[in-house]
Amino acid sequence: MTIDTAASVWGEFSAMHAWAIATAAVVAAGCALVGTLLVVRRMSLLGDAISHAVLPGIAVAVLAGGRPGGVLVLVGAVAAALVTVLLVQALRREGGLAADAGTGVVFTTLFALGVVIITAAASRIDLDPGCILYGILELVPFDTVRVAGLEMPRAFLTGAGVLAVVAVGLAVTWKEQLFTAFDSDAARAVGLPVAAVTGGLLAATALVTVASFEAVGAILVVAMLVVPAAAAELLVRRLHVMALVAMLLGVVAAVLGYLAAWRFDTSAAGMMAVVLGLEYVLAAIVAPEDGVISRLAARLALGWRVTCEDTLALLWRADEARAGAAPQPFRSPGEWAAGLWLAVSGRIVRDAGRWGLTAIGRAEAETVVRSHRLWEAWLGRHADLPLDHLHPPAEWIEHHLGADLRRRIEADVGAEESDPHGRSIPREP
Amino acid sequence: MNSLAAIPYNTLVVAAAVAVVGFASGVVGCFGVLRRRALAGDAAAHATLAGVVAAFVVTGRRDLPTLLAGAFVAAVASLGCLVLIRRFTRTRDDAATALVLSVSFGIGIVLLSGLSARGISGAGGLEQFLLGHTAALTATDAITLAVVSAMVVLVVWAGLKEATLVSFDPAFAAATGWPVAVIDYALVALGAAMVGVGLPAAGAVLVTALVVIPPVAARQWTDRVPTMLILAGVIGLVAAVGGVAASAAVPRLATGPTIVLVAAGLFAVSFFCAPERGWFARRRGA
Repeated sequence: MTIDTAASVWGEFSAMHAWAIATAAVVAAGCALVGTLLVVRRMSLLGDAISHAVLPGIAVAVLAGGRPGGVLVLVGAVAAALVTVLLVQALRREGGLAADAGTGVVFTTLFALGVVIITAAASRIDLDPGCILYGILELVPFDTVRVAGLEMPRAFLTGAGVLAVVAVGLAVTWKEQLFTAFDSDAARAVGLPVAAVTGGLLAATALVTVASFEAVGAILVVAMLVVPAAAAELLVRRLHVMALVAMLLGVVAAVLGYLAAWRFDTSAAGMMAVVLGLEYVLAAIVAPEDGVISRLAARLALGWRVTCEDTLALLWRADEARAGAAPQPFRSPGEWAAGLWLAVSGRIVRDAGRWGLTAIGRAEAETVVRSHRLWEAWLGRHADLPLDHLHPPAEWIEHHLGADLRRRIEADVGAEESDPHGRSIPREP
Repeated sequence: MNSLAAIPYNTLVVAAAVAVVGFASGVVGCFGVLRRRALAGDAAAHATLAGVVAAFVVTGRRDLPTLLAGAFVAAVASLGCLVLIRRFTRTRDDAATALVLSVSFGIGIVLLSGLSARGISGAGGLEQFLLGHTAALTATDAITLAVVSAMVVLVVWAGLKEATLVSFDPAFAAATGWPVAVIDYALVALGAAMVGVGLPAAGAVLVTALVVIPPVAARQWTDRVPTMLILAGVIGLVAAVGGVAASAAVPRLATGPTIVLVAAGLFAVSFFCAPERGWFARRRGA
């Protein structure tokens, strides 16, 4: 093989990969955009149901002479999605079936019907059951049409067209979608056509589903619809930002999933779902507000503050009692570390063989003890608890009372100079 | 008698075993439907594919008990993921179900495609777990399935009172001192076991239908739990036998979809014709 032919083989090869990745990226973006609205409207499982149920629509359309990715197939799929939604609604209204039960009955039945039609007419239909379930992205670049002098895969054109239609449609009606998603009753009350808004969303779901069908199949399209949106929801709050982040996550998963599948020689669509799953796990870990890391950090910060404050209060109480025995403040590694910090930051100091408070430390300790004893006094006055039940809640809440609340409790229990145990309540420093 | 004798012994045993599986699925599914968790089982069902293939990869064996053990582990793991997502994130339950379902299925597809791309001998045939194919079962396999199903039914029967209580009023059950969480997890584990056992018959994609459609159909006929369980079992049994018979008679017809279509037909009859909740009865009453 000469260098020239090797280069041209590589050129063809990489162009093929590029088209497959581009196709996956456009369908992933479309799915993520629609999926954002499905997820916030709690319609994820309807998306799941639709993605299964479009199969008989596609099968019938292909039997009637439609081409995979053609207009007839799109129409068949949207019709099947419509039938799904209407059937689930009819079962609920006419038969009183719960939504999950109705959905479970309808989509399994329609999917089974689709599989039976396809297997029964296998000789006349160019659809493979395996392809239906998990798509064959690897074969997408071989079915091309010539547009403007360029050979482009049919699935890419369908995906890009659907993405454009759905993006424009949702951008134009974004305000209505947003309002309906968060308060459909209020939207209906101010006169928005809520049924039409929801219908439009369902039609968009059917469109992106069928556009993705060839590339990723019926079940993995659910991953493309739901997972990027669920991950984006953990990361950001505003709906349009969430849609953009979801689309980005979808495209990244499409590219990385394809490359990983090529590297490990396995299904590209399956690998995209796996990458999406990893993205979700990552989002759950690093999410700014309630990700695993930020929860852990908040928990550690609280624990640290409680240990520091408890140490200060312990020393303050030892001073108050003028006990002969030195207090034993540092009994665990955590308390030892807290003690080190308190000493370095000038809150406690070692004097004549025992630990004592500096002026700063004393002021902070008094705030804590004051909170503790105010709360005991308040509970003693209002809660009708036995004396020995007052300490535990106060021990917990002493770390959480703000200055304002302390003042209001003091105003309430004002007459009392001491807590129910008879110890005086320190003044606000 | 003559026509029965013409059917091979193996086919008869498989049909009888799948009948037991259908019955057990219907019975166990009732509690999922009553607790409005009909679709959580779907996540477990799709995850079983990864379990089956992983069991093959890890052990190198492809006998049915090994594969089904893998399926069961995967089903339980997927339900565990649902619990983790609920505990640690603010993702809603419906999105979590769809997420676990599709990602775990993706893992299964990655493993399956990876195996077949490497041309590993013995991996062929695993894809029959996608849509179900009972013709490949041996009599021994079928008897294993039947025995597990029968045991599941016995457990449900023994714990009927507890399961009913938890399904209808978990708060009351907890207040009166029943270990609600334990009963709940036991029901979930039974459901996962049933999803695994139903796998060779209906396949990962459609096994949900075995545990959803018969109970929903049975619910139309009765308000009593024991009656609903038995009816759901019978509907599941009829659907399973019908599906096996049809797929044995028609070449290239996968068992799973056929079972689902028979079950759907029985549901349609129940939906329209049931004496009180049926559509016709409501119309007359209205």
